[in-house]
Amino acid sequence: MNCDECKNLIGAFMDNEIEESHASMVREHLAICGLCSQTCEDLVSILDVCSVEPSSEIVPPNSQALWCRINNIIENEVAPPLQSAPERRFWQFSFGQLAAALGCIALISSLLTVVAVRNYGEPAAEDFTTRSAATQTTLEKFLSKVGLTESPQQARDRRLHEQRAAISYWDERVMLRRAQWDRATRDAFDRNLHVIEESVSEYTMILASDPDDELSGEMLDSVLSEKMNLLRDFSDL
Amino acid sequence: MISRSKSLLGPWVAKTTILLTVVFFFLTATAEVSAQKKFSRVYPAGQNVRIQLMNRMGTVTVEGWNRNEVAIAATLEAPAANIVPQNLSGTIVINVVRDNQGRGEVGNVNFLIRVPFSSMVDIETRIGNLNVSNIRGGLVRAHISSDGDITLLNIASAAVSAENGIGDILFDGEIQDNGNYRFTSMSGNISVRIPFESSYKLVATAPSTRNISLGACAGASFSPFGNGRRMVGKCGDGSAAMTVTNQRGAITFLRR
Repeated sequence: MNCDECKNLIGAFMDNEIEESHASMVREHLAICGLCSQTCEDLVSILDVCSVEPSSEIVPPNSQALWCRINNIIENEVAPPLQSAPERRFWQFSFGQLAAALGCIALISSLLTVVAVRNYGEPAAEDFTTRSAATQTTLEKFLSKVGLTESPQQARDRRLHEQRAAISYWDERVMLRRAQWDRATRDAFDRNLHVIEESVSEYTMILASDPDDELSGEMLDSVLSEKMNLLRDFSDL
Repeated sequence: MISRSKSLLGPWVAKTTILLTVVFFFLTATAEVSAQKKFSRVYPAGQNVRIQLMNRMGTVTVEGWNRNEVAIAATLEAPAANIVPQNLSGTIVINVVRDNQGRGEVGNVNFLIRVPFSSMVDIETRIGNLNVSNIRGGLVRAHISSDGDITLLNIASAAVSAENGIGDILFDGEIQDNGNYRFTSMSGNISVRIPFESSYKLVATAPSTRNISLGACAGASFSPFGNGRRMVGKCGDGSAAMTVTNQRGAITFLRR
């Protein structure tokens, strides 16, 4: 008998379930083969334990569930869960990011306010040039002090400068055409220009003594517009 | 002998003188008539026609009438101006300034224009008077660049503007709710004749004369401004807006 045949029969041999002839052959082989005899001793030991311990303790009622629990315990002990940082949602910001965002919002709001004040809060040209410092609101005074808006005096000066430039242009045009006019046209033009010049002088004098006289500022603006219109109308003739 | 001949000579000289005078008068009158030209044109028009005229020198009279047509008649003094009216999709445009630009001397052109009552009228002249009457269209605008009077009679438009240099302005009409009325003169008198029950916000300014007579609306809530150079206030519920500015003349409100 060789070792393979012995191993095949050794289980039945231990249980006395083989024929005597085969059993004697197994005994003979165990006597001469150390490896197989060692295997036989191991089996005997196992059988001894099984015969001593109650079978209920050895075989759990639900071995599969037990192994699942054991497996879970082992996994928990061997590989404890990592304390990973909680996943950050897209709307969650750090303090620095929030501070930067608030700063940006404040800056943009300030810029928009300044633009709105300069462009849309600006009074109509007629009022703008004729107001006095006394009628300025606190905000307007502040803005004019920091240079974001014009003061009424600056606005008036700028407007007068623009009007005088336009008048100068139309005056040159009139001078070119004037020689072709008939006498009645020349007389009417001169008469009206004289009346306008009188008013300009009058309002200029009043404003020189009282720069805050709103009405004179408005009237000066008005008569200068009249003068420009007169020159423009007669430059067509 | 001598005394008899003198007595015969006297009546002869007198008759000759009278005859010569009559002949001279007719010749002169004929010459004047021949120096004037006439222009006339009639356009069919709807109720909302707009007449836009820019004259150079002369009187312009626009009258509303109860016909759906625009009749333009003009008298042209020598040297006669060119007039080329245009009918641009409901707007009749006459621009004497543009049509005669570059010409040295051009005679006065006196217009008489009749339009439907509900027309819009926009007339302008460099020198001369402007008269508009019986108009209740959306707009009446009269502008004189220099000398001339503006007379607006029986006007019931919601937007009225009259502006001149040296000359008077008279407005006689009704104030429409939410209307806009603007009268501006450099030197002259501005008179506004409106019904007592008119309702408007007023800014009246006469900086040189400070002569602002509110007349019919004196009881309304007006307050002086700038040492009496301007009156600001409201008459009625103040739905319309009226601005009157007279640089060197008086402003007078009259009850219609």
